Amino acid sequence: MEYFSESILAAIGLIVDFDKDLYQIVATSVKISCIALLIAALIGVPVGGWVALSSFRGKYFLQSLLNTLMAMPTVMIGLIFYGLLSRRGPLGDFGLLYTPTAVVIGEFVLILPIIINLAASAVNSSDPRLVSTLQSMGANKWQLLSLVLLEVRMAVAIAVLTGFGRAIGEVGAAMMLGGNIQGVTRTMTTAIALETSKGEFELGLALGILLLAIAFSVNWLLQRLHFYT
Amino acid sequence: MTPLYRIANLVFAYRQHPAIEIESLDIEFGSVSALIGPNGSGKSTLLSLLAFLLMPDNGFIEYRGENAVKSRSLDLRRRVGLVTQNPYLFNGSVLQNIELGLKLRGVRKRLRKKISSASLKRVGLGEYKDLDVRELSGGQAQRVALARTLALDPEVLLFDEPFSYLDRSSVAMVERLISDFRDHPEKSVVFTTHDSVHGIAIADREIGLVNGKLGRSPLVNVFHGYIKSGRFITSKITVLLPEKVSWGSCLAVEPSEIVLSLKPLNTSIRNVFSGRVVSILEDQGRVRMTVEAGETFHALITYEALKQMGFSLGQSLWLGFKSTAVKVF
Repeated sequence: MEYFSESILAAIGLIVDFDKDLYQIVATSVKISCIALLIAALIGVPVGGWVALSSFRGKYFLQSLLNTLMAMPTVMIGLIFYGLLSRRGPLGDFGLLYTPTAVVIGEFVLILPIIINLAASAVNSSDPRLVSTLQSMGANKWQLLSLVLLEVRMAVAIAVLTGFGRAIGEVGAAMMLGGNIQGVTRTMTTAIALETSKGEFELGLALGILLLAIAFSVNWLLQRLHFYT
Repeated sequence: MTPLYRIANLVFAYRQHPAIEIESLDIEFGSVSALIGPNGSGKSTLLSLLAFLLMPDNGFIEYRGENAVKSRSLDLRRRVGLVTQNPYLFNGSVLQNIELGLKLRGVRKRLRKKISSASLKRVGLGEYKDLDVRELSGGQAQRVALARTLALDPEVLLFDEPFSYLDRSSVAMVERLISDFRDHPEKSVVFTTHDSVHGIAIADREIGLVNGKLGRSPLVNVFHGYIKSGRFITSKITVLLPEKVSWGSCLAVEPSEIVLSLKPLNTSIRNVFSGRVVSILEDQGRVRMTVEAGETFHALITYEALKQMGFSLGQSLWLGFKSTAVKVF
């Protein structure tokens, strides 16, 4: 018990003393997740809106596929992209394995289906009069997509924040594709796994507390947005 | 002259259930047409087809000689203006809502503001332009939706149940707007209503719709006469009117508002007449009773009511309706 309480105190010490190593890991983690999120949101939000607004052959298959991908284990994504990016893989020549770009790719692939699905749900659950009103006002298909997304912006923001929560907390793909290189690809989750196995429980705990704080902030924001939708 | 709309062999179905089946219908250019029918008769669906929001499953709709196909729907939608029964307003101010359609057409900001303000004034909401739409009442919201459509200067105004959600003064304003629209030789109006009397009163032509098919125009219980001291006097009966009515030469009573009874009516109903059943017919899933009570009245009742009351041909009965059930035009 003493060991645990002392570790907590030490962890808090690291946080309040602004330990350089600790915050470097946090910064790397947040940076990688934000880049992955930005790309996934730029693609996923319009695609989700388009899926919801269009009727095309294979729509239900696509939606089922996206639902399946939402539940895909992160190590599976890590495994697939490890195979693709490793030196002997088809994309090996780019030399991306164990770089932040590889982690960004893994997280992007992880959260893209989530953002597409939640953006599509946001549009699907919008007021049924919205689309016909815009059509009757003479909106073309691009104006229709952008104005519908604008009208359901709170729900879209929830989709994006959910994606961020998933990206920042994932460990499988980051570990397998990033390699946990200090100052480069060491994210909060990979560092927690490594430091704890090395016996550096305090650093792991400090990172855990910060990860929890970030997750809490995201959830708090989500709740506030839910309140306004 | 090419009609405004030409409809031929039109079929539109919701999940295999035909909602509209019209063999042939022309709507004339420069006219005011009323689509009259009970709730669920397909009026709003037909209006959506006329607004090119829905496309026919079979048959065709021609707009001013042009076949309305999906690839042309955006252009056609921009030429017609639809005001729905329960309009959707976008988050933001009243003015932003009016401006949106103009913005979608690439109209410059200064001109947008000018047109939108003028359009708001036309519907009597000039002072509401900066108000958040969430603060509007149902009637005001419908007027904003009307202003939003008028701002786009459509060739045809398609109006779904314009009189359902409006108060008395707004109804007069909308009637005036429709009349202004009619005065313009290049403009036409098509509106839906379940209130046959209102439809007949302001339209050049009534189009009856029953279960998605063209039916006869429900012109019944309309009597000619004059008003004197709060009463409408025909050559045969005298009807008590609501207090505010002071002008009109036709009186109409909705068939579903008429109460029939074998005993004298001891309720708040002010207009009571004794009469005799002259016909009992089936009519759109209900029973149409024709009663001779000075004038010939048609009343719509349910099968259950017919069974319970045991009405039969030639029987003497009492017929009544409230003064508020009366429309004078």
